[in-house]
Amino acid sequence: MASNTIVERVAADLAKYPPFDKLAPGVLGDLAASISVSYHEEGELLFGKDDPLKGSAFMVMKGAVRLYDLIDGQEVLVDLCDEGDVFGVRAIFGGHGYLLYAQIAEESLIYDIPVEKVKALISADAGVSMFFAAEFAKSVQDIEQTLSSALSLRRQGSSVPAASSFLEHETLEVKPVENVVTCPEDISVREAALIMAESNIGSILVTSPEGHPLGIITDTDLRKKVVAVEGPVNERPVREIMSSPVYTITGGKTVADMVMLMVKTKLRHFCITEDGTVESPVKGIISEHDIITSEGNNPAVIMKEVQAAEEVGQLKAERDKAENLLATYMGQNVAVHFMASIITEINDAIITRAIHMTLDALEKEGRGIPPVPFTWLSLGSEGRREQLLRTDQDNALIFADTGGGEREALHAYFLEFASRVTAILEGAGFVRCPADVMASNPKWCLSLTEWKDCFRHWIETPEPKAVMHSTIFFDFRPVYGEPSLAAELKRDVFESIAKGRGFLEFFAKNALQNPPPLGFFRNFMVEKSRDHANEFDIKSRAMMPLADAARVLAYQLRIPEYFGTVERFGRIGELEPALSGLCREAAAAYEFLMKLRARNGLEHSSTGRYIKPESLNKLERQMLRNVFSTIEQIQQTLNLRFQLDYFRD
Amino acid sequence: MTISVTDMLLMRYALWRCGRGVLPGTVCRYLEAMKERPDGSLPLDSVRMVVFDTETTGFDLKKDGVISIGAVALNGLSIDVSDSFEVLVRQDRVGRSEAVTVHGLLKKDIARGVGEIEAAGAFLEYVGSSILVAQHASFDIAMLNRILWDAYRIRLFNGVVDTASLAKRLEKGPYYNLAHKVGEYRLDHLLERYGIRLHDRHTAAGDAYLTAQLLQRLIAKGRTSGIETAGRLLMQ
Repeated sequence: MASNTIVERVAADLAKYPPFDKLAPGVLGDLAASISVSYHEEGELLFGKDDPLKGSAFMVMKGAVRLYDLIDGQEVLVDLCDEGDVFGVRAIFGGHGYLLYAQIAEESLIYDIPVEKVKALISADAGVSMFFAAEFAKSVQDIEQTLSSALSLRRQGSSVPAASSFLEHETLEVKPVENVVTCPEDISVREAALIMAESNIGSILVTSPEGHPLGIITDTDLRKKVVAVEGPVNERPVREIMSSPVYTITGGKTVADMVMLMVKTKLRHFCITEDGTVESPVKGIISEHDIITSEGNNPAVIMKEVQAAEEVGQLKAERDKAENLLATYMGQNVAVHFMASIITEINDAIITRAIHMTLDALEKEGRGIPPVPFTWLSLGSEGRREQLLRTDQDNALIFADTGGGEREALHAYFLEFASRVTAILEGAGFVRCPADVMASNPKWCLSLTEWKDCFRHWIETPEPKAVMHSTIFFDFRPVYGEPSLAAELKRDVFESIAKGRGFLEFFAKNALQNPPPLGFFRNFMVEKSRDHANEFDIKSRAMMPLADAARVLAYQLRIPEYFGTVERFGRIGELEPALSGLCREAAAAYEFLMKLRARNGLEHSSTGRYIKPESLNKLERQMLRNVFSTIEQIQQTLNLRFQLDYFRD
Repeated sequence: MTISVTDMLLMRYALWRCGRGVLPGTVCRYLEAMKERPDGSLPLDSVRMVVFDTETTGFDLKKDGVISIGAVALNGLSIDVSDSFEVLVRQDRVGRSEAVTVHGLLKKDIARGVGEIEAAGAFLEYVGSSILVAQHASFDIAMLNRILWDAYRIRLFNGVVDTASLAKRLEKGPYYNLAHKVGEYRLDHLLERYGIRLHDRHTAAGDAYLTAQLLQRLIAKGRTSGIETAGRLLMQ
């Protein structure tokens, strides 16, 4: 004669989740009366692999349970069960023992459902039997998939630790040309050209007798240095016209590496040597062509097209291509920081192109070239090189002081200039900033002195609006123009912060205004606003707290580079060894979030900012959980560092 | 599990009366079970603990009566839903008392219940020699003891654990004066503090189920401070 009240309570809990949601009240009550409710603390092992099967299956009522296997002594997570998930169903279908380990991931309330009851239900209720058949099949499949991918990773002998393999899986290797055509340095230019024509190649490596690279002669060299130059150059030795030294690298580079190198060095040929220096024999050569043809959709191609674009429509088309490229990379699991640098390079190229187009137009209209040096700044996430998807424009302009009285004329010129640039960018698909944080706004198109005054004012009077502006503007990065203006501004900000009292405390306090939603998966800490009800704001709840914390610390530690959040955490960890572990976690967390947001954005053609919690898979949920606890630790660190508990505003 | 001399004498006298056929079967089966009291050295996962709650017409031990008793057992530290108990008491003392509305029991429900003495007897048989657990246990025990004394000249002889005192003991140490901060150890506050989802407050069985979940957490917490046997839990 069990208590009706308690049986009804348990029945109501069971009925919230499949397969028990479809049971008739009588059957459900009977099942509920057979349940026992157990409580487990984090870390407890419910059952181990090969343990004899227990007399019950399990349903998580609160908390979370991880199912894992051990491969070479390392845990491989197969599944993470949270509320309403049934596990340990092997006990129902028989066998010799459990296939996995079940460990409590966070304190849990578990309903133990007697196997006999479930068996009776399976034979009596078609819905229940379908559910368990599918659940069983799914769990076996999950195990196989997870384990086989874990094994194949291991088989590759990857030295990357398991945790980061999720992020750093760049498999697209560029195959170098290995039968490199070479020539000694004293043959004539004509002979070299002949060899190139015969072998139908675009470049020839000049090597020493030991096979070390001395220089390179390319089509371009021949065109520019031989054909275009007057006089008899043909008979001169190649050493006089070769490009030297050659840029040498070691083998095994991925497309990602090579594209970055190309973007950075603006070179087109890279020589592979035994130890990567010019002091060892040539092993192969990689040309721009090899990199481009290693995949169809290529950032270098897009960059070229952007640089050659004559009108806005072309810029927009290239930016669309970049988005496709991003989707390809997402599919290939390329590291996020690489994707972000590529997209940033492309965005910067578009901005640069827009500026050139504007300068040309202004000159043609007779308004002349810029009267003084200026710098175009990107702000916010674009300033941090973290834009994967097209978000709003956030930019500003600094122009040099003249000392004279023509401030108004300068201001007018640059305002006109900035308005045109932002209009082109808008046409290329960069939406105008709703808060009008753009260089076309008279408030954000200022001379260096005016900028210094403006920032000093924010630092000396850190009222909420000033702090909010600081979070966007203090991520400025020069994209075009005279970089020393930006460097001087940054130096001045450091100085003002050192002089002013309390700004960093306000800045830090602002970084703590969004505590991590630790109860996320139980309470579905989702947005209340109507448009995004039942969605989670990944930007403000997870990314901003990390980016804000990194910014505060970067300004406290006077890090002069125009870094992104991940790089900031890296440098902070170097400068403060006590924080290095936490900073590594924070950097990894941020990369994960960027990727999650980008994927979500591509799937829904949005900014990716709002995520439906139920669309996440188990692993992503587990990762998010870890991310939240990292955020909490970072915030505690800020709190201690700036003693914010004693600080009231 | 130790027992006081007075209780020992009361039990002997009651058992003697059972032999004479004076006391009802439910009471006698309880007394027989109490002969086999669990040993204080037994680990907690091998003793049965009954978590219970009573709803009363008020808080005056003399004037007020029990309206319902709800209970659920912990076997092997799991809440065993099949091993639970619930009884409604037909209460003549129900009148102007405010507690009635609080408990959400209608007068006609209460009128349908069993007699107070019969309910207490059924509870005795259900409990057997188990350890009794309740939130602010002394009040519920006193209520039941009054009924048992009036009817049979016996009282509950079981070991008793008060979850409020246990929580206090685990959080603040054994010498903290509970009287100063009663509010902190109210069931609502404890449930919230230990992350237990509220439901069915103010029915005896519902509160017993919640208190049982609280007990599970307190026992888990107590394990770290060495409370692993029945004797240690009862502070004997």
